Amino acid sequence: MKFGNLPKLFKLRVLACIGPLVVAVSIVTLRSPPVVYAGPELTPEKPLENTSRSGADLYATHCSRCHPERFATEFTSTQWKTIMLHMRVRANLTAEDANEILKYLQENSGK
Amino acid sequence: MDIRRKFFAWSAIGCATGIGFLSQAVAEISDDDFNALKQQVQELSDKVQKLEQTHEQDQLTHQQDQVKIQQLQQQLGKTEEKAVDAQQEAKAAAQMQKRVQRQQKQVSETQKTTAEGKGAAATQVQPVASVPEGPLALHNFAIVGDAEVQFGKTYGSHSAFTLADFAPIFLFRANDNILFEAGFDIRLANGAVTLANGKTGNSGTTTSIDLSFATLDYLLNDYATIVAGDMLLPLGTYSERSAGWLNKIPDDPLPRSVLPATGLGAQLRGGIPIGHNGQELTYSLYVANGPGSVDGTGKATFTDSTGAVLPNLDFGNVGIQSNGNTGNEHASPGGGGRIGWFFPWKPHYDIELGISGQTGPWDASGNHLWSAAVFDAALHISPYFELNGEYINTWWDTADRGALNPRGWWIQGGYKLAGLNLNFPLINNLELVSRYDQVYDGLGSRTRRETVGYVYYLTNTLWFEGDYEFFQSKGPSLVPSGKWVFQLSYGF
Repeated sequence: MKFGNLPKLFKLRVLACIGPLVVAVSIVTLRSPPVVYAGPELTPEKPLENTSRSGADLYATHCSRCHPERFATEFTSTQWKTIMLHMRVRANLTAEDANEILKYLQENSGK
Repeated sequence: MDIRRKFFAWSAIGCATGIGFLSQAVAEISDDDFNALKQQVQELSDKVQKLEQTHEQDQLTHQQDQVKIQQLQQQLGKTEEKAVDAQQEAKAAAQMQKRVQRQQKQVSETQKTTAEGKGAAATQVQPVASVPEGPLALHNFAIVGDAEVQFGKTYGSHSAFTLADFAPIFLFRANDNILFEAGFDIRLANGAVTLANGKTGNSGTTTSIDLSFATLDYLLNDYATIVAGDMLLPLGTYSERSAGWLNKIPDDPLPRSVLPATGLGAQLRGGIPIGHNGQELTYSLYVANGPGSVDGTGKATFTDSTGAVLPNLDFGNVGIQSNGNTGNEHASPGGGGRIGWFFPWKPHYDIELGISGQTGPWDASGNHLWSAAVFDAALHISPYFELNGEYINTWWDTADRGALNPRGWWIQGGYKLAGLNLNFPLINNLELVSRYDQVYDGLGSRTRRETVGYVYYLTNTLWFEGDYEFFQSKGPSLVPSGKWVFQLSYGF
């Protein structure tokens, strides 16, 4: 279908719509200049790597592998120090994990 | 129609006029205004830059503060530990001071007595030199361990209470790097007597005290520990982590009988973190006496005084006999080790794989080797489900039967019914367990066993266990076809 074959009334309606539309677009374009960002280039956010785990998590991870978890209040702070030395050797725990678990147990110990 | 045409014509004229006015409006913005606007934008950009730099500095200062806070927290923890030690030392010092005061009082009284000449014997009392006193002797001492009482019935025999076992572990921490640990197994059993017909009868009771292990542990650094003494051998993980109270089925897996549980020697072991997600590489390297020969020869069997033919391989090889003689009936110690990989992807969800082995001569001439290889695996999925097992293969070179191959494997699973989320305490405290194990002793006997049982947790340390074991055996060493076992276990 060619545009010239359309009824004249339809052509006029199309022109009447396009006219105000052109005006509106001109006004919006003039009153909204493009935003210029002059700061340093932004780096995309990287997901944080879980570099540390709590003593409670480590306790649940390591100790329940072999036996039911003992309540921290069952031994005193000094006793936990001795027992954790034993468990570090027995279960080949890393020093970092053993220290975190000991800290958790001593903080919640039977004093 | 005329009206409509006029209307549209006027609309078109209006649009054209509007566009014309707009173009005129654009043309009215002068260069000065544009430059002023541009300068304002530039000034704003500069301000944004300065603000961002200030923000970055603030972030850096915040991170430094966080590090300082962590350091202070660590120092606080150490200070608290020192405070505890200081309290102990202060207590010891107070006791020492009292003792010195008593001694000084005694000295002064003695001098007074001497001066007054009341008795020649008093002049012979000499004051004891004061010696600096350390912390209380039991300050770093702890006892852990377990105890069991067992009731059982083997197919074809009478039911009976079959075990009373007390297994304490004594721990003494000399300092932060040195630990002495010793485990004992104290058991009550019927005294056995040999009857005139050659059979065995009961007579009274005997108490046996076995040294399960006794080692001195010295922590070299974060990644290495030296262990020396009578060691639990890291052949698989069962001996170190599952024996006694730790296991959920009272009886040991059958193929563990083809391996020594302990060995006298020295070991280097430790754990090394891999990355930052909790993975670990664990290792154990050791030299130990290893299995020996009962009679010193390389033959597979020997005959005892009652005429019984028994395996000649002796796992209890500690180098000295109970009569004081050197009974080391093997040419030289052996060596072995284990490497394991542990990956916890979150608490209660982990997998561990390990491979271990040992080799060395077992006869006095040193011409025959005994070697072992063990693959172990353990899986935990949630706090409720676990699966573990071992495949064990040994090579036993003998003088009269060639190379024998005792071997076996076992797999064990457990499921805590608390995982069903039923609000019913009796169910929540119950764990169902099962095991399949089989062993070939290398001398012609093969035994298979299926075990189904339960663990009822009265508390986290007091368990009531029970199981039934189905046996199938072939060869010269037959075993009964079934067995009930019930056990009350307490860990302390």
